[in-house]
Amino acid sequence: MVRTIITTIGSGLGLTLYSATAAAAWEVNLTPGVTDVSRSVFDLHMTIFWICVAIALVVFGVMFWSIFHHRKSRGAKAHNFHENTLVEVIWTIIPLAILVAMAVPATATLVQMYDSSEAELDIQVTGYQWKWRYDYLDHDLNFFSNLSTPREQITNEADKQEHYLLEVDRHLVVPVATKIRFLLTSNDVIHSWWVPALAVKKDAIPGFINEAWTVIDEPGIYRGQCAELCGKDHGFMPVVIEAVSQDDFQQWLADARAEKQSAAAAAERTWTLDELMQQGEQVYLRACAACHLPNGEGVPGAFPALKGSPIALGDVAGHIDIVLNGKSGTAMQAFRDQLSATELAAVITYERNAWGNSLGEAVSPVQIARLLEPSTGEAEQ
Amino acid sequence: MSDKPTLWQTLLSVLSSFFGVQSEHNRERDFRNGRPVHFILIGLLMAALFVISIILLVRWALILGGA
Ligand code: HEC
Ligand SMILES: [Cu+2]
Repeated sequence: MVRTIITTIGSGLGLTLYSATAAAAWEVNLTPGVTDVSRSVFDLHMTIFWICVAIALVVFGVMFWSIFHHRKSRGAKAHNFHENTLVEVIWTIIPLAILVAMAVPATATLVQMYDSSEAELDIQVTGYQWKWRYDYLDHDLNFFSNLSTPREQITNEADKQEHYLLEVDRHLVVPVATKIRFLLTSNDVIHSWWVPALAVKKDAIPGFINEAWTVIDEPGIYRGQCAELCGKDHGFMPVVIEAVSQDDFQQWLADARAEKQSAAAAAERTWTLDELMQQGEQVYLRACAACHLPNGEGVPGAFPALKGSPIALGDVAGHIDIVLNGKSGTAMQAFRDQLSATELAAVITYERNAWGNSLGEAVSPVQIARLLEPSTGEAEQ
Repeated sequence: MSDKPTLWQTLLSVLSSFFGVQSEHNRERDFRNGRPVHFILIGLLMAALFVISIILLVRWALILGGA
């Protein structure tokens, strides 16, 4: 009989081992990731997985053996008794001991995960409906990271590419081998910033700041998603991190700052209506079309149509005001910090002249730049 | 029938209730001869001790973890 049990357990173990290797090939398991923490999370996951397998083998082994050995055809008779304190104590102590044994390595990993002290780079991550904003706190640099998957792929009018819905216009570029602290918050509803390869998943909650940290070993591109249902385009606000060498990171910082300055300079020159319409269409599709739809017709009851809208066709000051400052208490955000003066002028011009709206006048970037100057961040909650 | 649970027995009964397993024999003794207020008072005391020990355990784990 003992031999039967051993062969049963043996073949069970063989089967699970086999399916574990197969699982790796299908990539259905947790990823080991690219950081110290992600590897300890993975190890913890595997340890606990194997403990569960061992428990299942023992429990089901005893159960099946008992069913088989004490079967009716062998004349087995039930032994009726009501309670047995000793047995109850044993079956309480064993799970308790197992849980405590699992808590020891789990606590060690948790302590490591929560220790965000002595970070060398601070990045504020802010969730928006439906995009992420990154602020490099000590480097006077911030930008929004929007989904860049073409709309035709989403509506099945074009073939889907490899990184479908996991690609953005601007990557979060970070240096390798550097302790980076993420300060997470939100501008509107609760989001959650999740990058599996770093084992970082933290809620971004309006009015609160959560902390997470990472040290990435290997240069590379790591992709993640918003992990807290946050409205219509929850599945369309991916995270893309690009880890580069320290030198490349410094270079990237310098380039990004230079780009910001040249964007400011661009606002100073005179733009033609055509130029503004062209740029405006791009900005509109990237920043506004999720709600107001590419054809400007909106979603009745949720997002107003801009085609024929009294505001988009009315006094330009009112139109500029709602785009720059948003409307608090609605999904219409303040775009003054999200878009450059040129982009704002372009998108407003576009809205006043697209889809049959035809005012024929342009809003100039200089005009917007002047409005942006006096207050910054006033419209933020 | 004046088999009243002693202080020690009351304490053990409270601890068994924390653990979740008690023998039928002790249960009968407690319900027949015990006074609820004794169990409640010792229960509150033990709950406070439990919370304090959890706090100490966490402190200790944090020291070990180097945080
Ligand atoms: C997250 C969804 C969302 C996005 C993205 C969005 N809007 Fe809006 N927008 C709204 C909502 C909701 C309103 C209605 C606010 C209200 O209740 O008055 C609105 C109203 C407006 C109005 C006033 C229309 C009217 O007739 O009342 C204009 C103009 C406008 N948005 C322009 C823009 C522009 C330009 C962008 C992109 C830069 C944009 N919106 C992006 C949700 C959005
Ligand atoms: Cu979200």
